[in-house]
Amino acid sequence: MLSFTLAAPCARRPRTGTVRLRGVIEKTPAAMATTSRGVVPHLSRDQYNRAHIPWVHIPFESFLENNPPVPTLQPGPFPLHTFLGFDPDAHILSLSLRDPADGRETPANGAQYVAASTSRGVRRVTVADWRGHVHACKPDIVVAMPDIPWTNPPFSQKRTTKSIERTVSWLAHLLAPDPPLNILVHMAGGVNERARRAFAQSLVEPLDGLEAAAVKPLKCLDDGIIGYTFDLVPLRREIDVEDADKVSALLQSSLEPLPPTKLRVVISVVSPHQILRLIRDVGIDLFDVKWAQDAANVGVSLDFVFPVPQDDSQQGRDLGHNLYRSHYAHDFASLSTAACTCNACAPVVIKNAISHSQLDAHIASAPSGYTRAYIHHLLHTHEMGAHALLVLHNLAVVDKFFDGIRAVLARGDDFTAHVAAFAAQYDESLAIVNEARTMWKEVDVARGKGRIARERD
Amino acid sequence: MAKFEVLAKCHTTRARVSRLTLSHGITPLPTFMPVATQAAIKGLTAQQMESLGVTLILNNTYHLNLRPGVQILGEAGGAHKFQGWHKNLLTDSGGFQLVSLSKFTKITEQGALFESPFTGEPTMLTPEESMSIQHAIGGDIIMQLDDVVSSMTPDRARVEEAMERSVRWLDRCITYHNNSGKQTTQNLFAIVQGGLDSELRDRCLTQMIERKNDVAGFAIGGLSGGEEKDVFWRIVKQCAERLPDDRPRYCMGIGFAEDLLVCVALGVDMADCVFPTRTARFGVALTHRGPVNLRLAKYAYDFEPIDPDCPCPTCSAGTSRAMLYHVITRETAAAHAVTMHNIVFQARVMGGARDAILNGTFPDYLRTFFANYFADFGYPQWCVNALRSVGVDLLEGDSKIKVNKGTGAKWE
Ligand SMILES: [Zn+2]
Ligand SMILES: [Zn+2]
Repeated sequence: MLSFTLAAPCARRPRTGTVRLRGVIEKTPAAMATTSRGVVPHLSRDQYNRAHIPWVHIPFESFLENNPPVPTLQPGPFPLHTFLGFDPDAHILSLSLRDPADGRETPANGAQYVAASTSRGVRRVTVADWRGHVHACKPDIVVAMPDIPWTNPPFSQKRTTKSIERTVSWLAHLLAPDPPLNILVHMAGGVNERARRAFAQSLVEPLDGLEAAAVKPLKCLDDGIIGYTFDLVPLRREIDVEDADKVSALLQSSLEPLPPTKLRVVISVVSPHQILRLIRDVGIDLFDVKWAQDAANVGVSLDFVFPVPQDDSQQGRDLGHNLYRSHYAHDFASLSTAACTCNACAPVVIKNAISHSQLDAHIASAPSGYTRAYIHHLLHTHEMGAHALLVLHNLAVVDKFFDGIRAVLARGDDFTAHVAAFAAQYDESLAIVNEARTMWKEVDVARGKGRIARERD
Repeated sequence: MAKFEVLAKCHTTRARVSRLTLSHGITPLPTFMPVATQAAIKGLTAQQMESLGVTLILNNTYHLNLRPGVQILGEAGGAHKFQGWHKNLLTDSGGFQLVSLSKFTKITEQGALFESPFTGEPTMLTPEESMSIQHAIGGDIIMQLDDVVSSMTPDRARVEEAMERSVRWLDRCITYHNNSGKQTTQNLFAIVQGGLDSELRDRCLTQMIERKNDVAGFAIGGLSGGEEKDVFWRIVKQCAERLPDDRPRYCMGIGFAEDLLVCVALGVDMADCVFPTRTARFGVALTHRGPVNLRLAKYAYDFEPIDPDCPCPTCSAGTSRAMLYHVITRETAAAHAVTMHNIVFQARVMGGARDAILNGTFPDYLRTFFANYFADFGYPQWCVNALRSVGVDLLEGDSKIKVNKGTGAKWE
């Protein structure tokens, strides 16, 4: 089973801790990589193994295109790891039914099922189906199937109540009575603080009668789970999630009735600024970094550090470089100003190469780091290698950012002051990413749509 | 100058094993060169390429001259440094792409006149200009500018003109190259032209061999344009037979495994083609039992790797056909996975040939390859014919072998 221990059990926020599972140790606050169709976009397995983000989240719904879903038939003790090519000694895999980043409208869920979205249309997944898939795939962590309405907001009080009841009942179904799972629960209740508190309350209420018998020996549902997930995408459909105070208030209303010792995961943050605030105000432990992966997808190499060095304060600096910009054509500097040890900036020496004949005698090259000028060239010639190198780099920048956060917290520095300095130093609007996205789209339109479609020649 | 040592010759066929030492290391031959058109093998890093056991790749001069351009390559210190590839590199002359990709190209004695893709201005690529661009790129092997005509051109006079002009352009390339000071680190290859006409080929060979002391190797050009395979191999054989023993021979634009092995048997040392990397992006993995089309639903539940004996990163990590089916043509990472596999497949086919020639078992190697690859499809008749011409009868001793008269490659 997964264990999560806080460095200082009483500290609610900000806080540091340690996740342990098998041999994998993850210090929190930490980053989690996201996947598309089971793959960290743009990274082949050998490349992802050189990135240092051990926790990877897998949305299951693309596998519903086949029935039975293919990974459920994968042989071996770690079916999901094996199928997707992650090393059980190095990677923690969490699994959710739906892609938490996908905010598109989907047909309504039913009392017994969730409508999941696949490239071959909508699939209804019952709680029993979900349980079956989870037990067959054996992820390290499973997110209990929540009832998040993906129809058009706003939602009536009745709908919110239904959502809470279903999420609770589906969780209870996953808890009982099989071998223990590491379960995360989506914090239901939408944008209503009272509803969120009521949902959390129902997790810690002592169970009795049939309900208790079904989850025996658990005294309440919360006893059977390892932590909580907060999905920002559904909130974003109803409120302005850039309103930091509002978001913090919603998250805190969920946490109020709950014990402080469990893992807190936020999905779909959009900036490092938001991460810092949620650590400061809500004591969040784990964040997905899709925003950094997406930046790589549109040609941005991230370039920021935390804490901001004292001798270096430049107001409103960009978080990275839009390498589509023409002046990078002549810029032979490495991808970020801050030193980086990623496999793009400091490629590993290839000690062993495949030998194809008795004549082959490998002599390792002394590798040189890739430059902004080279990535600029790859972006403008539509070479997909650009994105592979940028994902490697951006994941490393993010990893270092979390190292910095933990170091500041461990030292007992004034975290709030550091967050303020960061906010002043770096542009939170991510104007640079938006600019790059526009240029990326222009290239995309020029070459036909889709990542692969433009690799036709 | 390059050092070229022939280490062993096949006792039956004209195949040979050799060692080519260039400024960026040793490349054992015969070898297949993956194509990094835009200074990148689609989606892979230079380190990944190195890990696959590849020591020689190809860059396209036409593309690199457009982007990033010689100025930026100069600032970078050459194409090796620019792309982080520290092993051997070959550049083509830019002529072939000019003819095939430009809207307007007119060949004059001075050079190839084309419309600049940037300005629309008429622009001239001369042999001297091609040399100068290739010097800026800095490839270890550079190719002469040749007058390229399609192998299907019916006009013999045009083919003859192109052949003779290619010889004259070779002289201009030699003069420019030998005065450049680059001849100590970069090696010029001549390209034999003459279409499908053996008399024109002979005349071209005679003239180009006379210039042997000024070139480091010879390419066989003007093929792989859709000509009959039985004509193709006869031209390759004719060229390989006459080309000097002490220079590497490079057959341009071939990449199917059977083509490679036939050419090796005829005496070819090097080949290049975009086919293995391009087909990978469309989901086709190459194996010793033939191509595997990973987009087919029959692989959806196939938990075996593409080839359990393959040492590539994809197969050795156990990536299943089912997983590849799930992501192919949807995720770039799937293209990377199959691209790595296909590059390794090509390298294994050629590495296996090197070992077999060294061990004196090349004819057996050919038989085994064809038995595995073509048992169900039938052996291509042209391969049987070509290999018979160098003393290997694929059908010998087995009357049950099917023969396929078609010229198409095996596909799935
Ligand atoms: Zn980096
Ligand atoms: Zn393989």
